[in-house]
Amino acid sequence: MTHRSYFCGSPDHGVSRRGFLGTAAAASAFAADMTHLDVLQTPLFASEVKKQQKHVILLWLAGGASQLETWDPKPGAPTGGPFRAINTSVPGVAISELMPKLAARMEHTAIVRSLNTRNADHGGGALMMETGRAVDQGIPCPDLGAMIAHELGRADSPVPDYVSMYSSTEGRRKGGSGFLGSRYAPMFLAEQTIPENIRRLEAVSDIDHQQRQELRTFLAKRFANGRMDNTVASQNMAYERVRGLMTSEKLFDVEQEPAEMRAKYGPTQFGEQCLIARRLVEAGVPFVKVARAWWDSHGQNFETHLELVTELDHVMSTLIDDLKDRGLLEHTLIITLGEFGRTPGINASLGRDHFASAWSSSLSGCGIKGGAVWGKTDEDGHKVIDGEVKAGDLFATVFEALGVDHKREFHIGARPIPITDFGCGPIKSILA
Amino acid sequence: MLNQLKTAKDLGTPGIFLSLTRIPLTERLIVGSSDAKLYEYDFAAEKTEALAYGEGHASYVTGVAWTTGGIVSGAYDGKVIWWDMTTRQAIRTVDAHAKWVRRVHASPDGKIVVSIADDMLAKVWDAESGKLLHTLGGHEPITPHHYPSMLYAAAFSPDGKLLATGDKVGHIVIWNVDTGAKVTTVESPGMYTWDPKQRRHSIGGIRSLAFSRDGKTLAVGGVGNIGNIDHLDGPARVELFDWQAAKSLKVLEDNKFKGLVEQLWFSPNDQWLVTSGGDNNGFVTIYDVATQQIPHQEKGHQHIHAMVGSESGNKIFTAHHGRLIAWSLTTDSATA
Amino acid sequence: MLTRLISLVCALGVCFPALVAAELPSPDLPIQAVIDAAIRDDLAAKSIIPALPAAEATILRRTTLDLAGRIPTLTELADFEKQSPSEKREKLVDRLLDSPDFALHQRNEWDALLLPSTRESSNEWREYLLKAALENRPWDQMFADMLAAKDDDVDRRGALQFVKARARELDDLTNDTSVLFFGVNVSCAKCHDHPLVDDWKQDHFYGMTSFFSRTYVTRNRRVAEKSYGEVKFKTTKGVEKVGHLMFLTGAQVAEPPRELTPEQRKTEDDAVRKAQQEENAELPAPPQFSPRWELVQLALQPENRPFLARAAVNRIWARFMGRGLVHPLDQLHSSNSASHPALLDWLERDFVNHGYDWKRLIRGIVLSEAYAWSSEWTSATSVPGPETYAIAAIRPLSPRQLGLSLHVAVSNPASYEMVLDAAKWSQNRNGLEGAGNGWAGYFEQPTEHFQVSATESLFFSNAERVQNDLLRDGGDRLVGVLKAQTERDSGIQTAYRVILSRAPSDEELNAFRGFLSQREDRSVAGWQQAVWALITSPEFRFNY
Repeated sequence: MTHRSYFCGSPDHGVSRRGFLGTAAAASAFAADMTHLDVLQTPLFASEVKKQQKHVILLWLAGGASQLETWDPKPGAPTGGPFRAINTSVPGVAISELMPKLAARMEHTAIVRSLNTRNADHGGGALMMETGRAVDQGIPCPDLGAMIAHELGRADSPVPDYVSMYSSTEGRRKGGSGFLGSRYAPMFLAEQTIPENIRRLEAVSDIDHQQRQELRTFLAKRFANGRMDNTVASQNMAYERVRGLMTSEKLFDVEQEPAEMRAKYGPTQFGEQCLIARRLVEAGVPFVKVARAWWDSHGQNFETHLELVTELDHVMSTLIDDLKDRGLLEHTLIITLGEFGRTPGINASLGRDHFASAWSSSLSGCGIKGGAVWGKTDEDGHKVIDGEVKAGDLFATVFEALGVDHKREFHIGARPIPITDFGCGPIKSILA
Repeated sequence: MLNQLKTAKDLGTPGIFLSLTRIPLTERLIVGSSDAKLYEYDFAAEKTEALAYGEGHASYVTGVAWTTGGIVSGAYDGKVIWWDMTTRQAIRTVDAHAKWVRRVHASPDGKIVVSIADDMLAKVWDAESGKLLHTLGGHEPITPHHYPSMLYAAAFSPDGKLLATGDKVGHIVIWNVDTGAKVTTVESPGMYTWDPKQRRHSIGGIRSLAFSRDGKTLAVGGVGNIGNIDHLDGPARVELFDWQAAKSLKVLEDNKFKGLVEQLWFSPNDQWLVTSGGDNNGFVTIYDVATQQIPHQEKGHQHIHAMVGSESGNKIFTAHHGRLIAWSLTTDSATA
Repeated sequence: MLTRLISLVCALGVCFPALVAAELPSPDLPIQAVIDAAIRDDLAAKSIIPALPAAEATILRRTTLDLAGRIPTLTELADFEKQSPSEKREKLVDRLLDSPDFALHQRNEWDALLLPSTRESSNEWREYLLKAALENRPWDQMFADMLAAKDDDVDRRGALQFVKARARELDDLTNDTSVLFFGVNVSCAKCHDHPLVDDWKQDHFYGMTSFFSRTYVTRNRRVAEKSYGEVKFKTTKGVEKVGHLMFLTGAQVAEPPRELTPEQRKTEDDAVRKAQQEENAELPAPPQFSPRWELVQLALQPENRPFLARAAVNRIWARFMGRGLVHPLDQLHSSNSASHPALLDWLERDFVNHGYDWKRLIRGIVLSEAYAWSSEWTSATSVPGPETYAIAAIRPLSPRQLGLSLHVAVSNPASYEMVLDAAKWSQNRNGLEGAGNGWAGYFEQPTEHFQVSATESLFFSNAERVQNDLLRDGGDRLVGVLKAQTERDSGIQTAYRVILSRAPSDEELNAFRGFLSQREDRSVAGWQQAVWALITSPEFRFNY
């Protein structure tokens, strides 16, 4: 038989500046081949699951946080801004003075200071940093959460695989599962703090709710007789998950936490959402994204970062401590990332603008060599001078930190799509 | 009538000039810069050159004031430094504040100096001895939305007996300078924009304060409500108070030249209220105090951070993002 | 020249009917007969015995969902059961094709295909599609309307929404046009000549792009074209090239030479910018030479038209049979042959010979034997591959099909008693369309290998709208009818016939008896939950 591969997967697409395939066409042409995709890992004993289960909490700094006011300060440079750099618990590593609490916990965190992602447009940058792909695949690609849900989620899990919170309205993006299909789409929380339709209506008694589902299962089994169909199976799986997902309602209720714990995370919405993220992770959710919007400080960059970095420092430090106290930090990877960083140049409104040529991200916890710093920018922060990394390199690092082979491939029909973008690989020196 | 506001001298500068003072009866200006330095410029000299001050600060110099005890500056490094005007070297360095110093102001006679900072304290110093006279703490360190607040503005009354301080959320305290006692409080909440839904952070704050020459009116400057808080795209806002009655008299909002009102200055006879500031661009906007109309306004080259007036009231000097400008202010009565 | 063109076109796997006509069945045969023979021959060659014919009620449901966009009503079911077996299918198909449902459903299908929900739509567009469906406008004309209708042609300009919604993204416009009209995905050829498909070169991608590069949308949302402009690109070897107006077959259009002075260009650029930015700017006169119109002309020339015709036939086939004769639908090229090559050739020729009459083709497909086979595989042998069509495909309902079907299923069946009277029914059908659309937004448009999400199952399980609308016990609702029935068994029979268009089996009857008898103290809730189980069952969710 002749080799039939419908798409080329050629690295030449690297020269393409932007996507060039309509989603309609793409979606109808290629979608997930469930025979390959829907094989979730087989269940293990609960205790084993708890021990081995890995998680990600992605703190998505929407709008683009300044690397200069966080992970890559340039004190004294004309571009450095007014904040100082402070020493951390790891000798030789200094970060912005806005993060004293994280500085004291630097032994858990690795910094990547050399992202050069070239796209300083909110939409395009966000898509790239959500999916880890600069190379257009001609089909809608899954974001990090969907890929991790696919790799780490379990078929028998009573909790969601992927929860995404984005409560501010500016730049709100839901994220998506692309060719992995809606099984891996996020449970999305926007204005509401509790997911939609997760609570049984009072008009339906619990026994009715359960038994009508059993009646449905009876009908479904009859229908499946002689009909092996993956889409039909996905509908049944979606219904089988309902009761389990409903039991996770309390996970989203911050009131369930002791007042003392809530006080530790603080009264801000971001703090509450990170506390919910910890509750979810503790219950076995593989991927939680908490978007903190909006960092787009074209005016008053320093005032904005005084507010937002102070909050990030406090909340993320609390999260690290809390996960550590519960023995979860070594199984949980905390990522700070956004669509890009901010310009070294300070504009006349004392703002910083969009900048994707030399910016930073951080990885803490699971699989990470704490205190490691990768990459270097020049003295003004204008460009990367050592260890340049692309979105795909960062994603490959995340995969490896979680024990997922970054060379793994998805199969879309006959076409293999690597989990890691073309030409990218992990930053080994920051992996534990 | 006010009929002219003209650029008399215009100097391009390398840094961001954040603060400005003038040595009385001269046109010698001392500016504080983003490069952590102070510079002197003599605008009366034929050739105006920058004379650098010595080492001292480690961050943005946001406050500078002439006093009888020398030039006093404050910076984001938390330090307040006294300088010899002749040698331009530091003569006293005080670790005055735990957070950024936002402004330094001298009393009209130059004998008292106040520094205000994001530790939300106003510290009143004897300008000559450097002795700390009062530590005034009347501003909340945390905003109602649980973020760090900032103490941006202060002003002495013309008789030097009162001091007003104003913070990010629009809270103003008036103090008795002699005793350090709180005299009264005034609120101007319209200076603070909290965006609870779209972007979930804040912008604004009281950025300038000035007592009228008769001491009765307190002018408060900042920016009005901003839709998109990523930018300074809001009305340049001034609120006038009868401070003794704690009564708001008038809100002046200009949408032609927008942004922060960084500076306020009453002309000697209280005829004009000169305001300056900006977004990316700077502005100088002059209000007729009696009618509250704008007889004149000019676009300034880039955002204006600081401004001082001359004794006669016919000159003002502005410090910009990369510029230093002298303006002549002519009125009919002056030209007649 | 002609020889060269023929060999080129054949290399693309798209041969002239004339070259192969001798091998094809007679053009005079009915479509369904040719389909039946082609599929039977292929199955015989592979020694496959196809699935049994589907039950009559299943055929009614399948055909009604496919042609009317909804499940059959109780009245239609009863009527179908009465008809004489020999002609009931043909009568059903012809009734549905003439029903007001058909045009609405056809419009919805085109709309979902050509302007997916992520793209900007308009009333004018949906009205255009409905009119085209009602008057059976030939596909070649619709193609011409969508790409190059005149903006002052009130009757057709709604079709331009296809271009308008993509005008800001030249690559999308190029690739969507290629995929949706010609069955060719040239996107790989943007960056390099396709490494696996010899047919697709960078020249093809930029050739197609060149037809659209002068298109823009004015501030007043009108589609317009500039009079000059070309596409430049770099080959993988770094050579700068200019795109020629070139169709997928390699056929080119020569633009009449025209010299423009820099001043003339500037004048035009200024006018275009003004039209793009200002509300009431005067539009520059339409250029003499319109690349989009040239594309339409070129694509319809006899030597080039196989792309348009074949792609349309393949897509219509896939819609009803679950899979294209060429699979995937956007991979019509020489190294990806059809499962039934002669059938595709014959259907393509028939389609062109009958004036791109898509409705005629649909009728032929749904009357074929294979269309009516069961989706259940009862034989002990392994299930044949989908490319054999030996077993009916199971297809998820589209959001609009599901919305309409839900509304029909939960309504008092008496509301639809007039369904067989076309005149009376058409007065009611628009209301049903609105009600169905009110539900469609909750569901996702299925793609190939579609998966139903937990969002959908949670919605049906816990949304207030499901409980308070679908399961309401008012007189206009099925639950209201069921609770009034004195006999439990006849209630179960009614629910099954209304929702699943069939009678329950004994086993099912027993299961529902048990479920309802446990709820004698709260019979409304009992009926509500019984209806819930039926509308959430896979049998309802899919066209099987």
